[in-house]
Amino acid sequence: MMNETRGTSRRIFLLIARLALGVMFLFAAYAKLKPQAAMPWSIASVKISLSMFAMQVDSYQLLPAQAVTLVAHWLPFVELVLGLWLLSGLWLRFSSLATTLLLGGFFALMVRTYSMGLEINCGCFGPGEQLGKKTLLRDGSLLAFSLAVTICAFLANQRRDNTATSVPAAASQPQRAN
Amino acid sequence: MIRRNFHPFRWLNLCRFASVAWLTLICGAGTVAQTQPRAQSKAVSNSDATALPVKSLGNRNAPITMEVFSDYQCPSCGNFFENSLKYMIPDMVANGQVYFIHRDFPLPMHPYSYMAARWANAAAKIGKFEIVDAALWDNQQAWSADGNIEKFVAVAVAPADFKRIKRLMEGCESNPNAAVKPAAFSGTAQTDHGCPLDAYIEQDKQLAKQIPVTQTPTTVITYKGQRLQAMPGFVTWPILKQFLNSLLSQ
Repeated sequence: MMNETRGTSRRIFLLIARLALGVMFLFAAYAKLKPQAAMPWSIASVKISLSMFAMQVDSYQLLPAQAVTLVAHWLPFVELVLGLWLLSGLWLRFSSLATTLLLGGFFALMVRTYSMGLEINCGCFGPGEQLGKKTLLRDGSLLAFSLAVTICAFLANQRRDNTATSVPAAASQPQRAN
Repeated sequence: MIRRNFHPFRWLNLCRFASVAWLTLICGAGTVAQTQPRAQSKAVSNSDATALPVKSLGNRNAPITMEVFSDYQCPSCGNFFENSLKYMIPDMVANGQVYFIHRDFPLPMHPYSYMAARWANAAAKIGKFEIVDAALWDNQQAWSADGNIEKFVAVAVAPADFKRIKRLMEGCESNPNAAVKPAAFSGTAQTDHGCPLDAYIEQDKQLAKQIPVTQTPTTVITYKGQRLQAMPGFVTWPILKQFLNSLLSQ
């Protein structure tokens, strides 16, 4: 009974968490792709937004120009796909693991930049957000949250596997007795 | 009829009148020529004082306007100039694609940045901003050590221009060092009333407040009248060029 309640609460937590993370990633992708100022949505305006995001990636002073362009042009789409994957709930272990790894990478980069004393834009949710203690705290919390989701997803899967293996065993036991 | 009009005395009077007029003209021209240089030099010094500092480069009607809020003593700003702006000016600014505007945003933590901004503004008043600006960035480390900015400005411009800049710097010589800071350097919006150049710096700082700018360098790009999100931090030239080209190709 207690195990059943725990299982239900874990399922609810996983549902809410993956929806929250999914929406957050979709918003992050949207913020990076949305046209600047009053420009209309078009391929050209999205290209401008991606180039602007490239400037933010470049300001971290970590990657060479070509890698900066590559990251800036792919990352928003990776976030978009990850957001949709989380919302779909398919292979949650892997989607949450990918999310944790990505957030871990972001967080490590932010800590490095902050410790270097660079005063730049975070670039997390598009332009206009300065990297500071607040953004570090937010991203650190998100990382912890995502890690908790990943652990829960793996535990839930393990439990499901155990149940699946124990059911046929239980079913086969009376047959053996017979 | 013709004979009646012809009178020798009349001709004589005409000749006298013409010679007097000619002499008057020559003397007048001489006097003007003598007095003009003095009047001109006076006009130059007056215009130096009243002229607005031109801290911009390129074509005012360029499709992209790029305003950079900088502090002359900030290392990131120095990096930005040396690794990006130095390449952009002879390329996209010279081609009429970008109109570049320098904005002063001296931070209170840097003891000589306000003084450097004063020198840059004085140079901008006589149209020598580009040279002095480059000299300040190129020698940032050197003058940041002792605050001797004058030395590098003197080397950058012609002696006559340096004299004009020095004249504009009169009343602005109270060098703000780390120990004694006038009100203008303490981070408040107050200006040093002895230095008329501070008004231009404060004007830029007011603009920065409106955007708002909180750190340096901060780049504000306006494309065809639309101001984009302010971009703080240093950006390398290839990435900046890529962004500007993406705007131009729209």
